[in-house]
Amino acid sequence: MCAGVAKRFGVGANRIRVLAIIAALFLGFGVAVYMAYWILVIRQGDEKSILSRTGSDKREKEILSVGTITVFSILLALQILGINKFGLATLFLTLSALGALVVWRGASPAEQVHLRKMTNTVATMGSSTGEGWRGVALRTVVSVVFILVGLSNLSRVSRVRGEASGVVIGATALVLGLVILFAPWWIGTVRGLSKERRARVRAQERADMAAHVHDSVLQTLSLIQRAADNPIEVARLVRMQERDLRSWLVDPESFGVTSDPPTTLAGSAFEIEHEVEDCYAIAVEVVIVGDCKLNAAVLALLGAGREAAINAAKWSEAPSVSIYIEVERERISMFVRDLGRGFDPAEVSSDRQGISGSIVERMARHGGHATIRSMPGAGTEVELVLPLKSTAP
Amino acid sequence: MSDIALPRVFLVDDHALIRSGIRTELGTQVDLVGEADEVEAAIEMIIERSPDVVLLDVHMPDGGGRAVLEGVITKQPTVKFLALSVSDAAEDVIALIRAGARGYVTKNIEGPELIEAIYRIAAGDAVFSSRLAGFVLDAFASQNGEAELTPPPFDPELDQLTVREREVLRLIARGYAYKEIATELSISIKTVESHVSAVLRKLQLSNRHQLTKWATERRLL
Repeated sequence: MCAGVAKRFGVGANRIRVLAIIAALFLGFGVAVYMAYWILVIRQGDEKSILSRTGSDKREKEILSVGTITVFSILLALQILGINKFGLATLFLTLSALGALVVWRGASPAEQVHLRKMTNTVATMGSSTGEGWRGVALRTVVSVVFILVGLSNLSRVSRVRGEASGVVIGATALVLGLVILFAPWWIGTVRGLSKERRARVRAQERADMAAHVHDSVLQTLSLIQRAADNPIEVARLVRMQERDLRSWLVDPESFGVTSDPPTTLAGSAFEIEHEVEDCYAIAVEVVIVGDCKLNAAVLALLGAGREAAINAAKWSEAPSVSIYIEVERERISMFVRDLGRGFDPAEVSSDRQGISGSIVERMARHGGHATIRSMPGAGTEVELVLPLKSTAP
Repeated sequence: MSDIALPRVFLVDDHALIRSGIRTELGTQVDLVGEADEVEAAIEMIIERSPDVVLLDVHMPDGGGRAVLEGVITKQPTVKFLALSVSDAAEDVIALIRAGARGYVTKNIEGPELIEAIYRIAAGDAVFSSRLAGFVLDAFASQNGEAELTPPPFDPELDQLTVREREVLRLIARGYAYKEIATELSISIKTVESHVSAVLRKLQLSNRHQLTKWATERRLL
């Protein structure tokens, strides 16, 4: 629009725009002129001006006249009731509003597309919330009313002193109007921010996952390739990786955190499982019922059980060893069992450090006992029992 | 052997590699009547072919093994399910058992053990791995260890294990086969099986506070 004027007078478009805004500030006179100009001047590429198009359409004429009559009667009514004093500004603003109506109704299809695009780019009318045109219009009208009421109240108060309630009402109405007008834009911004934050979190998670896959899975795979002709080593690596992934699945937080030494029986038992599996290439299956805190006696029990598991790994030739621990109120029982070749306990000389020192005597020192059951060809089971009465509080 | 009807087995797993591995292990000792790699197809085919035993992967897209089980069991209550999983997470296991599976084994089970488990399920018994036995003991055990935390059982018949059942579960948890348990306790294998089935029933029917709460809260490695 301004560009069109600029072309006609041979002046820069921006200069005309500035002029138009300044004119608009003067009592709305400029706005009215702007609208009149818009209505009367033929747009580049169109044959008729908006006014002539509107004038040639009967229905548009009706709408226009009804709109004009309505607006003026409302103005008159308000004037009579003395609710507000209408100066020139109101008159011009009203005229501009009417002009806008004419423009809207009479705009050519190309112009309507242009208008729609314009209204969408205006922040206050931004359709980010997806509301329809009616919603935008309603909101705008409501907020403009609030703003006008607020402004008029405030301006009155500045003349009549001591009217605090007017200030409050005016300010509230003003703020309310502004809030309603700008709400969609603001909500859109906030929504955009949180969306962006979510995307960032997701990207972070993906990066963690990638790091984990690289550190553990890919490394292990390359180790396995290198050790392909050593089945024991491959089995060990696979078990290690499996354990790692499984604990990560159960507790993703644990990734990358160097674990503290375990403070419970179950934690230590799983550590024994890992250690024996890694060092002796045997599958260890641990089943635990209940749990308790570690103390000297419990550590002794676990130490004895570990020794039994290592013995099984070293001598039994079984592919796996089962460890079962049950914590009850009055005792902890631990069973270490393999289905390997077994031995005759009577034939083991009593000075063998492994069984007597590390298992039997260690249990006895803490008030427990160990029973070893084994038969050649039928596997071995070590039963360790630790009474809890003495250590219970 | 050949004139005895082989159990008709259906295999549900979304990984082709696992399916072919299991197929190889089962060999000719069962009658494999079909395979499926997704929930919808599995439900449809199982209902159509009505196998004796379904080997069911716990973790699958679209609701997993549990969706298959629930989709089938209302229409074909005679089909029995054996859950098969790499996961040892207690909540998965307990959830599937409570939904109606008659047993649970991990995927690293040896071929002969898996076949034995299938025959046992087909015969109407339950199959507990040592880990599942441990979970069950843990869920039912707390009246000794944490009595103060446990509300009194609603239904003593269902909410508690008998001494014998506990003994059997303990031996399973220690890695004993049913035959070894029978010898150890001087009872018949049939008796061992009936104890395990009784435990399964309690596991499925009990409202025991632990079983519902524990299954979601407890996280064992």
